[in-house]
Amino acid sequence: MKRIAFGIAAFVAIHSQAAEVIPPKPAAYFNDYAGVVSKEAANRFNEQLAQFERETSNQVVVAVFPKMQSDSDVADYTQRVAQAWGVGQKEQRNGVVLFVFTQDRKMFIQVGYGLEGALPDATAFDITEYRIKPHFRSNDYEGGLAAGIDSILKAVRGEYKGTGKTVLERRAKGPAPSFLFFVIFVVVLSIISRVMRRLGGYGYSSRRRGPVFIPMGFGGGSSSGGGGFSGFSGGGGSFGGGGAGSSW
Amino acid sequence: MNKFAIGCGGLLVIVLFIVFVIGLFFWGTYNRLVTLDQNVNKKWGDVQTVYQRRADLIPNLVNTVQGAANFEKSTIVEVTNARASVGRVQLDPNKAPTDAKQLEEFQAAQGQLSNALSRLLVVVERYPELKSNQNFLGLQAQLEGTENRISVERNNFNGAVQDFNTAVRRFPTNTIAGMFGFAPRPFFAAQQGAEKAPTVNFNFGSPAPAASPAATP
Repeated sequence: MKRIAFGIAAFVAIHSQAAEVIPPKPAAYFNDYAGVVSKEAANRFNEQLAQFERETSNQVVVAVFPKMQSDSDVADYTQRVAQAWGVGQKEQRNGVVLFVFTQDRKMFIQVGYGLEGALPDATAFDITEYRIKPHFRSNDYEGGLAAGIDSILKAVRGEYKGTGKTVLERRAKGPAPSFLFFVIFVVVLSIISRVMRRLGGYGYSSRRRGPVFIPMGFGGGSSSGGGGFSGFSGGGGSFGGGGAGSSW
Repeated sequence: MNKFAIGCGGLLVIVLFIVFVIGLFFWGTYNRLVTLDQNVNKKWGDVQTVYQRRADLIPNLVNTVQGAANFEKSTIVEVTNARASVGRVQLDPNKAPTDAKQLEEFQAAQGQLSNALSRLLVVVERYPELKSNQNFLGLQAQLEGTENRISVERNNFNGAVQDFNTAVRRFPTNTIAGMFGFAPRPFFAAQQGAEKAPTVNFNFGSPAPAASPAATP
């Protein structure tokens, strides 16, 4: 018994080396999990990025973490995270995620497949190395992130056209047609059942009052629209490891 | 007589139904196998694309590095040779290899190129002239990005092969796979450190990292 327990402990010890945590999908465009910028700046960045998606459909997300929760290389790890988050539209695959790990003093720009042309690795490296790093070196996170965001947006603007709405805003409108469909479905069913009864199809069902439906909450009302804050929802974009990073 | 005819008819309906269900099963399974197979081929194409991308970067890199004053020639020769040998192991980019040996050869050649390139980048560290060369830095970023892409696409390929192989080997799909000649596909093996960036260990004092206790989150 003891040996088994020891075996399990050893197994866990070895495997926790390789274990990594993929953080949950972010709810905002700008996510400061390390608390390095002011609330106003975070809101400003968030709105800037949300507006950018409305205009261009490109999803640019910033995530500032205190520490990397993986033993892998920063490039590998952030690719997996960006892929799991599904940043960017599914078809255009136009997502960009700027990852910053403050304690590791590392950052990486992950570029989705669809923006590798607009934001090649050399440009991404230029942004992290020469636009962001000097600010971070002097502990000016806000300035570095502002410069980084501006440079990224400048590089990828014009590659795709926006729809005027973010993924979340489009989804919020979703329940309306599906509800309409539901109503039509009920009406059609009740007509069919009435006709069937008129025809005397199923004698034993004559006592029934038509189909009974238990409406299951549809869509679950969106949580957006509160106080001008624009929430983020990934469009299912994918990442192939493009991009570059720096340490400071 | 009449009852017998009805009985026969009923039996026929049941038999037809069973045949229909089996046919449906064959149809669905076959189509699923074809889809998985196509996916493997597509992912293989992606792998080939990123390897090709790396090969295309090399002439430019070699030219830039050669420009540096008395740059070590042996590393350049090594990279050029490795690239040439990669060119000799060309596999069909539209069809994933079915022969494990073929894939092994391909992987060995690419691994050799990876090694030669990482040695070159280490040597470059000794040339401050290159380290401040914008052109070279851009190339280096592209090369690193390409290595990342290679590892991503290889993983995707392995995932696709795994899905396909699981379907091919599992019962009852395996009977149909055998009938139509779907054989398990080989995938990339993790290489003996060739694909991984060398890790630098600053663990002075404490024992080897594998033995260190699990970090609590």
